[in-house]
Amino acid sequence: MREQICKLVAEKLPELAGVVALRQTAVGTAPYLFREGDDLSQLVLEPRYPLPSVVSMLQKRYPEARFGVVARGCDARALVEMAKRNQIDPERLYLVGFTCSAEQAAECYCAAPAPDTAGWPQAMVVGVPVAGAPPNPLVAQYEEMSLAERRAFWQQQFAKCIKCYGCRNICPECFCEACALEDPLWVEAGMLAPPFPMFHLVRAMHMASRCVACRQCELVCPAHIPLTVLYDLMRRDIGELLGYEPGADIAAAPPLSLTLADGMVHGQDQLL
Amino acid sequence: MTDTFEPKIVAFLCNWCSYAGADNAGVARMPSPANVLPIRVMCSGRVSPEMVLRAFRSGADGVLVLGCHIGDCHYISGNHRTIKRMPLLHNLLSYVGIHPDRFRLDWVSSAEAPRFAQVTQEFVEAVRALGPLAEDGW
Repeated sequence: MREQICKLVAEKLPELAGVVALRQTAVGTAPYLFREGDDLSQLVLEPRYPLPSVVSMLQKRYPEARFGVVARGCDARALVEMAKRNQIDPERLYLVGFTCSAEQAAECYCAAPAPDTAGWPQAMVVGVPVAGAPPNPLVAQYEEMSLAERRAFWQQQFAKCIKCYGCRNICPECFCEACALEDPLWVEAGMLAPPFPMFHLVRAMHMASRCVACRQCELVCPAHIPLTVLYDLMRRDIGELLGYEPGADIAAAPPLSLTLADGMVHGQDQLL
Repeated sequence: MTDTFEPKIVAFLCNWCSYAGADNAGVARMPSPANVLPIRVMCSGRVSPEMVLRAFRSGADGVLVLGCHIGDCHYISGNHRTIKRMPLLHNLLSYVGIHPDRFRLDWVSSAEAPRFAQVTQEFVEAVRALGPLAEDGW
């Protein structure tokens, strides 16, 4: 798989300003812009890292340049949502997609481990696509929990939060220059585990229609808070209420910024 | 305790419909509960989820969002955002264990003074039955 990707990257490099991927050297692994002539034997695929944020930064810094990116299924979904919000320009991006292994997909409860290239101007997927893994069982169990059980569960989880903002910083969809989580109006500064979880609820609301289930937030959380249970529930709701799946279709506009004429609310007839 | 419990309700009222409806309810001397603290906003679309959450954090036992009926929005499509956003917030509250009856989105036009009195009364009764939010543990 890695060899195939390196070959494809080498083929494409002459026509691109560079390809964003992970590079492993003696000092560690970090995102890197591979340019023509660089040692592609240093290109690695592990660990998982949100490269879309790096692509966005580069494209904004170099508004004329065309880049490539080595992307997993979740990275491609993140890029789709970023494109809709003007954070990347898909016309200036070559997507070198690859498929996660079945084990990785199961670890992430990933429904789409292979990048979907439909709608992408320039893209190529390497590797045999594996089937999606079943969803997180906690999400299905959630329905049977009483309100008191849910409260007890999240109070215990949120109490562990050290407010490192790691979940926000790693998130490819958190790109706002003014962040509500830094506004003392909504989130009290200097207060750990406040009695009311403003931080997590505001973030969960902002993740609705954006979260592409890459699970980076849960991966980086030093307190091991199962954030994606909450975000998965929001993802399910946005699908059921607004018929929208974040990261799936590059042509579908984000529903929360549309009027009803552009996209109806499902199952909400009693409100109309 | 619960016998004397009077819930604190924060109501976000849209300037053009619901606030005028509340005004008319007052002019017509319709009894509406004093538990409701009205906050006038220019449009129900102005009510961000953060505002509702902050009301809960600040001690509200229930939050009401009232706007113009769909199709009657002064800004044409302001309340279209509300109708999409608020059901998501409603669900989110229940996911962390806040009773869904503590939050309500409804539509009250300026001509619907009796409806304003009815909605607020219903809501206050519903929240009164639930007891204080602090007793729930949040």
